[in-house]
Amino acid sequence: MTGSGAVRLIEKYWVVIGLSSIVAFVIVCVQATRNDNLIVTIDEMLIRMTVVVATYIFIGNSGVLSFGHIAFMCIGAYAAGWASCDPSWKQLMLTGLPEFLQDNQYPFMVSVTGAGALSALVALIFGVVVICMSGVVASIATFAFLVIVNSVYSNWESVTAATSSLIGIPTVSSPWIFFAFAVFAMVCAFLFQESRYGLMLRASRDDEVAAKSSAIDVARVRLIALVLSAFLVGLGGGLYAHFLGVLTVDVFYMSLTFITLSMLIVGGVGSLSGAVLGVLMVTLIVEALRALEGGVSIGSVLVQLPKGFQEIGLGVMMALILIFRPTGLTRSREIPFPWQMRRPNVQPRAAAAIAPVERS
Amino acid sequence: MLEVEDIHVNYGRVAALRGISLRVDESELVCILGPNGAGKSTTLAAIAGGVRPYRGAIRFNHASLTGKPPETISRLGVSLVPEGRHVFATLSVEENLRIGAYQRRDRARVESDLERALELFPRLRERLSQPAGRLSGGEQQMLVICRAMMTRPRLMMIDEPSLGLAPKIVDQVYEALLQRRHQEGVTLLINEQSSERVLEFADRIYVLRSGSVRLEGRAQDLRDGVAIMSAYFGFDDHSASSSAQATLG
Amino acid sequence: MIGFLQNLIDALSLGSLYALAALGIGLMFGVLRLINFAHGDLITVGAYALIVPAADATARMFIGAWPLPLMVLGVCAVVVAFALLSDLLLFRHLRRASAPTLMIASFAAGYIIENGILVVYGARPKAIDLWPDLGREMEIGALHVPRLQLVTIGVTVLLMAALTWFLKRTRYGVQMRAAAEDFAMARYIGVRANFVIGLAFSISGILAAVASLLYISQTGGLSFTLGVPLMLFGLIATVIGGMGSLLGAVVGGLAVGFVSSMLQAYLPEGLRSFRDAFVFAIVILILLLRPSGLIPTKALVPRI
Repeated sequence: MTGSGAVRLIEKYWVVIGLSSIVAFVIVCVQATRNDNLIVTIDEMLIRMTVVVATYIFIGNSGVLSFGHIAFMCIGAYAAGWASCDPSWKQLMLTGLPEFLQDNQYPFMVSVTGAGALSALVALIFGVVVICMSGVVASIATFAFLVIVNSVYSNWESVTAATSSLIGIPTVSSPWIFFAFAVFAMVCAFLFQESRYGLMLRASRDDEVAAKSSAIDVARVRLIALVLSAFLVGLGGGLYAHFLGVLTVDVFYMSLTFITLSMLIVGGVGSLSGAVLGVLMVTLIVEALRALEGGVSIGSVLVQLPKGFQEIGLGVMMALILIFRPTGLTRSREIPFPWQMRRPNVQPRAAAAIAPVERS
Repeated sequence: MLEVEDIHVNYGRVAALRGISLRVDESELVCILGPNGAGKSTTLAAIAGGVRPYRGAIRFNHASLTGKPPETISRLGVSLVPEGRHVFATLSVEENLRIGAYQRRDRARVESDLERALELFPRLRERLSQPAGRLSGGEQQMLVICRAMMTRPRLMMIDEPSLGLAPKIVDQVYEALLQRRHQEGVTLLINEQSSERVLEFADRIYVLRSGSVRLEGRAQDLRDGVAIMSAYFGFDDHSASSSAQATLG
Repeated sequence: MIGFLQNLIDALSLGSLYALAALGIGLMFGVLRLINFAHGDLITVGAYALIVPAADATARMFIGAWPLPLMVLGVCAVVVAFALLSDLLLFRHLRRASAPTLMIASFAAGYIIENGILVVYGARPKAIDLWPDLGREMEIGALHVPRLQLVTIGVTVLLMAALTWFLKRTRYGVQMRAAAEDFAMARYIGVRANFVIGLAFSISGILAAVASLLYISQTGGLSFTLGVPLMLFGLIATVIGGMGSLLGAVVGGLAVGFVSSMLQAYLPEGLRSFRDAFVFAIVILILLLRPSGLIPTKALVPRI
């Protein structure tokens, strides 16, 4: 490959390359601190990044606000748990599971892939219902979906251990493994948004009627986005299962929904960069608040916030972004290629449906 | 009475008004003409407080209106009847009429005003307790004009009163408006697309096109309609015609 | 037969509670086009207002110890204050925002309130005993009905009547209805936007406060997420009944209460715990078939 050909290739995929580099840099820095707590935080951040990027694939391109992605994370996590935890425990506690799950213990990649697959399947079924609905109605349906999944998983004792925990999932702790999955999600997101499906979907986001009049099958492209999104969210759920080692259903409900949505909105709901940078930003701020909760000496003064301020801080941050910068920190644009070549920067992708158009 | 100075209004990134200036003196009947998209509705909306100009000023009897909310401007005596007959469909006819008067303190006069409105349009009296959504187009137009009159405005602005109405109904509407103007001395600022009626009873006329004022003058001077047509359709726009010639030639 | 009637009163009582929640949410949507996810947290605030703000394991009554009229007023005042504050600090600055932005904003407001309660009162659930007398049963013929259920139904009917009177017979009610129908036009005709909105939040707050008192009297347990189930059911009740229609909110609430109670009573043993999942699945079905709800006024589906 010639020099300029290589540069052109980098320029084409710059968004993914640039973002992954930033994230890799952060990981390296954190690893250098040798602080175990921080490394755990980074692991969780990378898993959330996978989930948020996956959520962006649907919300950012379709303009339909979804509250249901954490339901897919739940489905994926439990699927991975079923696949990979100890068979003797499963045979005792999870008697409702089919035999091929009860009797076997599958390796990491299989369980995670299975997690994504199951989520995608459920998304296909649920999606057929939701894609016909417009805007706010669809959002409410996704909200109902979250409640349904939570209710089912909280009560189906023979399959999920209901309100007790599902234990014994083999854990994985290298951040680079989670990083690989996050990059995979980014690549999928990028390829989707650059594909004609992504284009068609964004057209429907900006003007549904016009899109339909241009022979775009809005329902079909939405379904594709939803299934792809759910697959990746399910992968994230599977990763989460292998990160925690123990699963309970109440983790996958309103709180996590709010946190992941915040990450997407703070970064910018209409761009991949927004999803990734939003995760970084929110994690940074929440960690800072957590440190303050633990007590930090600034000069000779001990500053300590009461417990619970982390969450309040996150809520306030969301409120401020919604009021002052609804398109997010990135203004729903992608990160620019640092070396301008013959032509100027890429078009901004304004997510008109969720955030109002920037006033001139 | 009303002074609009060089207002500019954008909808997002689209320029709707590019420097509109006009004035209306007391007891005048001023009409704004112009094709669709000229900025007529936006001009009235800006005066009434529905949209905010990012440049320019609006004054009513020397009090500044720019940036004030619509409800405050209504209380200052400026009433807008927007186009499209926005009746409150689920409220009764009577509720629609009375809601205009809630901001007033003179209870007794409110009742007599209501009476007078109903005398002017007897059909409304028949339907007082019905939901306003059930009225015909013409009745609704009468209703919204009466509703605005119930605020006892000093300046009443009406956006395309004849839109979508049969000519006979439009006659009635204008008759009522003129009667009211004659009796109360209300100043009127009316948007219209068609110039015929307008030339009959307006004092002065503005013609808008593409967000700016293309012509201003007294109705009696413009009676032959030539100047109006030219401003309306853009015959006077030399840059457009020369570029058209270049393309065709 | 007796069993069925008993279940029916159960259903009515539950439905009344949901109708109250639905009214609060429906009002917000009608006037502001806001789906207020924080409504449940206002209910939580009302319940917590009864006790002394402290993280103790055993709750000590604060407003809860006041005589009845003062207690009700006190709880209402606290909840209305929170509701108005949420408008002042957050929603007022989002008047022109899109529907999804408003939804997330209310989600954020709820999150902040929930965690605020957590900070002040601690995470441990507490038990309180409000109006223990109402737990006693009354005999109506062959039926044994807990008084609380009758009170719930009665209070809801009363509040609905009061709200209807307010909307139809007072100036402020007429202005609110006008604003709910066409906000811009209402302002042109002199209706004060912020006042009407403040009124809507206040009424919504009162409805939340009453719902919280009835609910806490029933369950006796304080937790920082206590209002969430009511919000969920109130929301789907509004959606089913038709957003923007207050009658729809009430009908929706009663319908959801009815379906929920009946499912609880008549579902086979194994499926009973999935009752909520069934209810929400039915909601999705209704949304699919009739997106505007059972009593459509303003469609959520934009018309071309």
